[in-house]
This record gives sequence, C-alpha cells and structure tokens, in this order.
Amino acid sequence: MGLDELPFFKTPDYMYKVNYWLGALVASAFIYAVVSGLVLLLYYNPADPYDQTQYIINQVPYGSVILFSHLYAAYAMILLAYVHMFRNYFVGAYKRPRELVWLAGVILLVLTMGASFVGYSMVGDVLGVDAIGVGEGILASFPGGAVLNAIFFGNGTTQDAFSRLLAWHIILVALLGLFFLFHFFTAERYGIMPSRKVKSEVPAVHSKEEQSRFNAWWPRNFIYMLSLMLMTWGLILVVPNLLANVNGLPLLLNPHPAPSPSSPQAASVPAYPPWFFLFFYKIADFLMPNGQPYPPFGALLVAVIIPMVYLLLLPFLDRNKQLHPFGRKFWTWVGVMLITYLVEVSVWGYVAPGVPEPFPAQVKVLLPPAVVAAIGVFVMGRTWSKRKVNVSPALPKQTGPSPSTTFGLVVLGMLAVGTVGLAINDPTVPGGAAATVLFLAFIAFARSFWRHPSGTVNHKARITLAETVMAVLFIVAVVLAFNMWTVPSTGPQSSLFGVDLGALLLMLGEALSLYHYANYAVKTT
Amino acid sequence: MKRYNRWDLLFARGLQRMMRNPKTKFDEREFVTKGSDYLFNYAEKNVGPIDEGRRNFMKALAIGVGAAAVAGLLPGLRVLPAPGVGITKFPKVLLVDSSGSPLKASTLSVNEPIITIYLYPLADEPNFLLNLGDASNKPVQVQPTEVTIPQTGKNYTFPGGVGPSKSIVSYSAICQHLGCEPPEIHFYPPSYMKLGMPAPAELTAEALLAAKQANAPGVIHCDCHGSTYDPYHGASVLTGPTQRPLPYVELEWDSTTDYLYAVDEGGVPVYGHTSDLTGGNPLSGDTSTVTKTINPFS
Repeated sequence: MGLDELPFFKTPDYMYKVNYWLGALVASAFIYAVVSGLVLLLYYNPADPYDQTQYIINQVPYGSVILFSHLYAAYAMILLAYVHMFRNYFVGAYKRPRELVWLAGVILLVLTMGASFVGYSMVGDVLGVDAIGVGEGILASFPGGAVLNAIFFGNGTTQDAFSRLLAWHIILVALLGLFFLFHFFTAERYGIMPSRKVKSEVPAVHSKEEQSRFNAWWPRNFIYMLSLMLMTWGLILVVPNLLANVNGLPLLLNPHPAPSPSSPQAASVPAYPPWFFLFFYKIADFLMPNGQPYPPFGALLVAVIIPMVYLLLLPFLDRNKQLHPFGRKFWTWVGVMLITYLVEVSVWGYVAPGVPEPFPAQVKVLLPPAVVAAIGVFVMGRTWSKRKVNVSPALPKQTGPSPSTTFGLVVLGMLAVGTVGLAINDPTVPGGAAATVLFLAFIAFARSFWRHPSGTVNHKARITLAETVMAVLFIVAVVLAFNMWTVPSTGPQSSLFGVDLGALLLMLGEALSLYHYANYAVKTT
Repeated sequence: MKRYNRWDLLFARGLQRMMRNPKTKFDEREFVTKGSDYLFNYAEKNVGPIDEGRRNFMKALAIGVGAAAVAGLLPGLRVLPAPGVGITKFPKVLLVDSSGSPLKASTLSVNEPIITIYLYPLADEPNFLLNLGDASNKPVQVQPTEVTIPQTGKNYTFPGGVGPSKSIVSYSAICQHLGCEPPEIHFYPPSYMKLGMPAPAELTAEALLAAKQANAPGVIHCDCHGSTYDPYHGASVLTGPTQRPLPYVELEWDSTTDYLYAVDEGGVPVYGHTSDLTGGNPLSGDTSTVTKTINPFS
C-alpha cells in the first residue's frame, strides 16, 4: 500500500519513550473527547439542559459512561497539554526552527480552555449556571460588553444561552481541530525534538541524511502511537467510571453534575469553577495594595493575558542557543514559577474560594517560592556551567524500560496519588499509612526505572516474557468481552461497562506495546 | 514547412528592438548559462502580449474588487449577536398566588423565612417579596431613604415600604456581585441573625456586625461570596464584595382590595442586564405568580 512512504517523520530508536510522545497523548484525549462529544450531541437539549443531563445519565444506555468519560477526556487533555507544554518549555523545543509549532500550541491551549469552559457550563447545574453568570459579568465590564454578551451568551434568556453555548462549543472544537492540524504538520516539518545528548544547541534538527536511516512511520511508529492512544483512552474510561461509584467525592473530581440551580441543595454548594480555572478564580479575589478589589479585567490581565503574551513571545525573547535548562537560567526560573504558581494558586482557590486576599497575604504566599526557586536555579546552574562539554555524534542506546515496567509505574503512581489525596481529604490512620507506603513504593520504583541496567540483558527471555504477558492479556480480554454483554446498560451498574471497556483498551494498548517491544525495540545480538 | 504570418514577423522585429534597446538589453552571458529558459522568459516579459504596467493595473483592480467584497461582507457580521428581546416600558403587574387568585397584602406573614419569589418585569428577573418586621416580628415601617452605590458614589431615592403597615418591600433576587440566585442569596429574618448556623443558613461575623451598626434587624445575604444587603434601608450595601445595592421593585398597594401590584423598578440595573426592560422574555399576561419554595433554615 505504500504506507511507509507517507511523509511522516521517521523516528530513531531512542525516541520510543513516552516523553517524546506527550503530544500524541494530548491528541488522543482530544479525539476521544470529540467522539464522545458527538454521541452526546445526539442527546443534548438546550431547552432544559439539566433534566436532559439527568436523562442521559439515567435513561440512555451507557449514557453515564459516555458523559463521565467525556468530562474526564477534557480534564485529561488539559492536564496532558500542560505536561506537554512544560516539557517542551524546559527542553527548549520552542526555539528555532520550531517557533510556529510553539505559537500554534499556545493558541491550542487557549482554545482548549475556552471549549472546556463552555462545555462545563452546558450541563446547566448550579456551578455551570454560576459560571455563565460570571462570564456574562466579565464580558459586560468590557467596552462594548452588551454586544459581546449578545454574541456569546445570546439575548439574555436561558434557552438562548444554552443554544449559543452548544454552538460555541462546536465552533471552538472545530477551531481546535484546524489549529491542531497546523500544529501537527508544522511539527512534522522538522521532526520530534532530538535528545540533548545528540543535538545540544539550536537548531536541534536531525538532517535529512540522518533521518533517512531512521525507522519508517509504518509500521513501527504507527504501532507505538496506537498503543499510547489506546492506553490513554483506557484510562479516560476507567478513572471516571470508577470514581462515579465513590460516595461523597468532592465536586472538583466528581464526574456527576452538581445539583440543579433551583434545588434546595444548590445553596450548600460553594461557588467555584472546575479545577483548571481555580487559579483564575483565586486571582480575582486579590485586592490591590489600597484594599480595593481589582476590576474583572485586571484579574483577566494578570491571570490569563500576561502569561499568554509571555508564552507567545517566548521564542523571540529567548534567543539563547543553549538547550539545557541551566544554560538559560532566567527562562527556566520563569517556567518553574509558572508551574508553581499554577498549582499553588489553584490549591489556594480550592481551599478558600471567594475569600478576598489583601496584598500582604498575596506577598506571603507568592514571594517565598519565587525566591527559593531563583536561588535553586542559579546555584544548581553554576555547577552545570563549569562542566566539560562532551558531545558524541552517536545516537543514544535504546536503554529505556520495558512497557510492562512503565505500566506498573503508572498504576503505582495513580494508586499513590489517589491514596495520598484521600488521606489529605479524610485523614485516618490506616489511610495515611497506606498513602505513605504507596508513595514510598512509587519513589523507589521510579528511581530504579531510570537507572540504566548494567551487564548484558537476556533478550530471548524478555521476548518470551512479553509473549507470555500478551497471551494472558488475550485470555483476560476475551473473558471480559463476554462479560460486557451482560452488564446492565442503565443505572449505577452501567459504570462497570465503562470500567470494563477502559480495561479492555488498556489491555489492547499494553498488548501492542509489548508487541512493539518484542519485535522492534529488543535488538537480539 | 511552417507558415509564418505577419504576427510572427511583428514579433521577431519587436524582439530585435527590445534586445537592442539599452533599457531592456538582452544579457548574452545569462543566456549562455541559463539557456533557452532565459530567452523565453525575456521574450515573454518584454515582447509578450502582456504589458507589465497593465498587468499591475489589473492586479490593483482585482485587489480592489476583493477589498470591496470584504467591505461589503462586514455588515453580515451582525448575524452573530442575538437580537435583543424585552419590553419598552414597565408594566403594572398584579401579584397572584400559586392558585391564580390575587395575593392579599394582609396575608403575607412578617419575617417569613421561606424564600418568596415572583418575576418582574421579565421572566428571568426574580425578586424577593418581603414583609419586614422587628425582632419580635411586629411589622416595621420602612421609610423612603437615599441609597448610595459604592461603585460610582452616586445616590438614588428608595420610595419606602407599602401595605397596611408600610412594611412590604421587594428587591431583585440576583446578587449584584457575580449573579448568584436563590437559594444561594436569601433573606435572614431577625430570629436567624446569629453565628454557627449550618449552610445554607450561615452568616458571617462581618455581616452580623454591619447589620447591627446599621440598625437592621435582618439582612439579605449571599452565600456565594458573602455580599450582604440591608432590606430595611433600600437593600443598601452592608458588606462586600458587592459594589452595588440590589435594585428595588416599586410596589403599589390598593387599600380597598388589599391587592399588591408591581409597577416600576429602580436603582442599578438587574445583574446581567444592561437595562431592566431588555435581556429576557416578557411575562405573559398582567399577573405574576408569587412562589414560596425553599426554606433555607429548616
């Protein structure tokens, strides 16, 4: 079929590690969100969104599975987008000649946040209705605000608002798709960012001559990418459908919608946005040094516009040829501060939503991490500056861990995070002990993960192990598939279908990953 | 053998003329390196039927048509903002109960804890209907008063309460801070003005202090972010974060029939509206139903 002649970037052996493929993970979450969203589109009713959401959850076969996983696909996409962005920030992937890729990426981030805001409001629960109210208020404070409100939220009636939000959700997602294509093809032009061990300075591009010796896209890249996609989809299905069965999960993580705005329970729901907007919400609580609150535009400026402009200008501000984070200490420090503030202010927003914060409180929370990070970056960077430069032209060896180890690490990591989170939320002695044990196990496992194996590796044994695991996966998958036909399609037990389907996709992804490992990655000597 | 006609001859003579003309000299050296491509391009450019000047003029014309197309398209962008919906003047609306019969003012209980709402003047503008009393639940006469808007510093006049004891007032039920609606914002009668109540009946110490300082036996308080309003003095701002008082609905009490009418609205515009008369569907008919749904204190 000539598939191997498609003009996609050929990949060297050392790049078959997940940190070179973070963009593919974001795209997988996007594709899942689009497909599940199109199914939900068949059922959305702007005249009465809350009741319709309940109908989807309770009456539509597997409706709850699709709805909960659609929400978590969006959550996953935002989280992975941050991981992908910051990874590329710290390896310097925004530098020449990849500036256009980075710019398209920043636009994608903004579009993703916009589409998520609209999608979240479309449910029509009390938090969604509050979100619409906040959005209308912010737009009204701009010059020409009445026209802006008429464009985005309609003529003021609720029915018009939800019809418009549905349309805007689809428009924003379509724009996302278009910009993604641009982002993807401009990225393909110069290829995945090579390892710093191979190319330590700008421009970090493998020449055409080098590329001709790499693996063709079909079939190796395709199999690897497919395995990553399926594992992402699997997690997107498993996590929310498991969480849907946990009673009393905080609204931040709960896949179920909040109470209806007209129900009595609505009064006991503190007004706060979804987790990815908590930082913005908290910055809106900040007071100016004179004690007055910032106008809504002020919060938008500080929380959104200034970081966005910084990210857009970054490829043109940091003209340094160095790719190592310590070779460009100032930008590294800013990057560290962006992550720190994002997490810190979001947690603050969750713990104290809507509480005005005077200037001294802001300084107390925001200044110490900045100082500590600055000292850390500059002190650690000084020893790097004095190192001996030793660039070898040979490509790094394929010394990555096997996919089963990676999978185990991911599972362990999720368990650790989950138990730690639960222990913080609801501290009990056994809970805290379990959290500590899992956390330490994760740290220990992670360290051995990155240590390079010494001595020779028994390739034949590894291939046999992969084959055995694949056989086990096959049997379990067949049994699971039979079981899925008997799971009730509505009611609280239907979430089991989501968990099973997610597990099935995870197993398929793992099987492909093992196949890739055994047939391509392991070079028998 | 090919037949040559006079156009070929004219072309050949034109080409010769161009080549000899010092302004459009034919560069032999380039011809040697680039070959026939150079010759053909040269001929096309200098002797061909296309005149560069004319070509540029036509380019300008085409761009002009394009610019006109874009300019003509622009009014079409008016499709994006939704057409406004609303009414032109404040209607006089009779308040009725849930069975449809007119509400009698004397049947309104003083300091009612249950949230009492009716819509006026548009279907997305809920308002509280309050019969205010003191700590011993005796009706309190609500005087006309000047209300200040902290955001602008301006004042407006609140006309005061109506009814047999001039204790019945009505204010917008949408908080002026970020638009929270009942049951998140509601009236706290004097008997519930204390600390330590569970949500959704909890009050902040700040709100209680401000109420005491303003001599307000009860308050309207929003649980979302803590905005507090004084219903005894025109729903003026007691605590932030709101920067504007609640709009009031001007009521009219017919002393012969004991009926209540909503006739006007004043103060700042209702939250989310540029004017109280636009941004929502009109009420059907000239009545508005008063609903008592949720008791946040039970």
